Amino acid sequence: MATSAPVRQSSQGGIYGQIREIYQYRELLRNLVISDLKARYKNSVLGFFWSLLNPLGMMLVFTLIFGLLVPNVQIERYPLFLLCGLLPWNYFSASVQGSLYSVLGNAGLVKKVYFPRAILPIATVLSQLINFLLAFVILFAALLIFQSNFSPWLWLLPFVLLIQTIFTIGVALILSTLNVFYRDTSMIMDVLMLAWFFLTPVFYSTALLPDSITLLGVTLNPQRLLYILNPMASLVNMYRDLLYWGYRTDLDFFLRSAVTAVAVLLFGAWFFRRYSDRFGEEL
Amino acid sequence: MQVSRYDTIQPGEPALELHNVSRRFIKRRERSRSFQERFLRLLSRRNVEQEEFWPLDGVSLTLTRGECLGVIGPNGSGKSTLLKLVSGILPPTAGEMVVRGRVCSLLELGAGFHPDLTGRENVYLNGSIYGLSRAQMNERIDRIIDYAELGDFIDTPVRHYSSGMYVRLGFAVAIHTDPDLLLVDEVLAVGDTNFQHKCLTSIRQLQAAGVTMILVSHDLASIQSICSRAIWIRHGKVQSDGPPLDVTLDYLSQLSVDEDAARTQGGEITDMEKLERRRWGSGKIRITRVETLDADGNLVPSLNTGGPLTVRLHYQAPQRVEQPVFGIGLHNQSGVHVGGPNTRTGHFHISFVEGEGTLDYHMPSVPLIEGEYLLSVAVVNADDTETFDYHDRLYPVRVHAGRSSERYGLVQLAGEWRLASDAEPGLPIDPSLAAANGR
Repeated sequence: MATSAPVRQSSQGGIYGQIREIYQYRELLRNLVISDLKARYKNSVLGFFWSLLNPLGMMLVFTLIFGLLVPNVQIERYPLFLLCGLLPWNYFSASVQGSLYSVLGNAGLVKKVYFPRAILPIATVLSQLINFLLAFVILFAALLIFQSNFSPWLWLLPFVLLIQTIFTIGVALILSTLNVFYRDTSMIMDVLMLAWFFLTPVFYSTALLPDSITLLGVTLNPQRLLYILNPMASLVNMYRDLLYWGYRTDLDFFLRSAVTAVAVLLFGAWFFRRYSDRFGEEL
Repeated sequence: MQVSRYDTIQPGEPALELHNVSRRFIKRRERSRSFQERFLRLLSRRNVEQEEFWPLDGVSLTLTRGECLGVIGPNGSGKSTLLKLVSGILPPTAGEMVVRGRVCSLLELGAGFHPDLTGRENVYLNGSIYGLSRAQMNERIDRIIDYAELGDFIDTPVRHYSSGMYVRLGFAVAIHTDPDLLLVDEVLAVGDTNFQHKCLTSIRQLQAAGVTMILVSHDLASIQSICSRAIWIRHGKVQSDGPPLDVTLDYLSQLSVDEDAARTQGGEITDMEKLERRRWGSGKIRITRVETLDADGNLVPSLNTGGPLTVRLHYQAPQRVEQPVFGIGLHNQSGVHVGGPNTRTGHFHISFVEGEGTLDYHMPSVPLIEGEYLLSVAVVNADDTETFDYHDRLYPVRVHAGRSSERYGLVQLAGEWRLASDAEPGLPIDPSLAAANGR
């Protein structure tokens, strides 16, 4: 006599199943993040300081160049202004670069054993997040020493970080998949990221942009366009509002960024899920 | 295509069900690996030649809990694809698959090990790859280290490990993950004999504990000794399914047919250069052909351990040659000369040869264990001062295990086991007693 099997939730359901599975494998996520950090810092304290060298060097270069090129437009305490934008940008940019090879670089593992593949790009982003947080401690010290104008809305900062992480994971999921199928994704991204960097108000202030430009007979507002088209521009400005200018970030502005980030993550998760089945044969 | 996976298995449920499962691969002649190529292809509007092949084509299979399935078949027959579908690395193209319980695929030789991390750290890493939490690993770590027999090496980076140590550690982690379904792909062949024994013991224990297993191997002997059931996959289909002995014998007989076909197609010896280097002699007598025959006088390329074999030499002597000595030799894969009978040592006197003829050497029972062997043949003069013709290891002979399950050493030492009933059978040797006696 055959009895039908009791109904149980399949472990490969929709987005809920995906999240549940990643939670099940959280130990792997943790291990990947730790081994990534270990490799980067080579188990030494000095390793951490080396990782600060890059933003500090860039700060020096931009301060000099900006001062030389546009001496009329001076931004008060420019190094602090720059760091408030540069550190979040570096977090994003390093995550993007790392995520491109997160699946490709683990081909041996992906072909041999099953685990939720999304762990790989997520681990890359999280390890960059930790890196970013460590650098943030230094930035905070500098902000305190130079008496920056902290915003009364400073408590929003963790949420800004969360929004950026959500957005970055979404982008990482898409790019890690694309690079498996098309290996020149990383080449294209090199150029794209450079353009993206200049289109993000990292070393300049949005206030420096003209109010309107006319392109092919259409009058555009570059400031508004920048915010609408580039989530990173909004994010960088939110950091700056809270840490440097001491403004209140408009709530609708904040919410819009949050919605964009979640939308990108959802699309990334869908995209990754749609194509990650084929990793086993493409790698 | 439908895949259902359940985290747990209830008693009485099958561990694995495949209904008409197929998997397609597309071999693209030119495969676009980049946007650039894709774009160029769009411009040239050339049709991409696509060639499909189906490593698995309509496979249906049900495994009950605790079964140990051996999968055999030639390379590229779809064995590994089957494991990849079950483990979830590849999705099936068509068909329905139900997997119940935790699946653990034994990783190939330390895949997933991080060379810079110590053995201990890698145990945790590997455990997490299998989806175990830190707490679960803490519980098991001592048992794993103990099992892997690595001693102090456990805190050394695995980069310094020998391949045997890699395997031991990898296997130790895998079997301690409490799998419901264990997938093993050709991993047991590595490691030393002692550890192989240990693996086998563990596999039997797991089996007894109700763990379902799928084993892919070329080693038919171990399939026969470990598995409770075997399937033979040929051209993506299950060709034969049943008790391991029957299935392996089926497979072997097909193998001989294939080898025969290959031999008749390939002709005698084609590789002239190889021939030159491996053949010498004055040519007063020439060995023109060498054949291996079974008991009924049919040409066979292989035999089973313990089976009969006749080596037939065709010779040609343009002029009369007095008292020639013919001989054959057999080397195994590692180059060991396992035997070399000749007419002199066999006290078989040939007074002279002239013209063409054949000479048979008949062995009623060849005790060699499973493996590839190379046959040499030679003819020399009576006092071994002149070599007329020498073919050094020119003829491959395959020995299959057949019904023999001998796996160690070179030959099957025929004999029988007897247990004396008035002694104390099964009394284990107490190591402390033995040590005390030694003193």
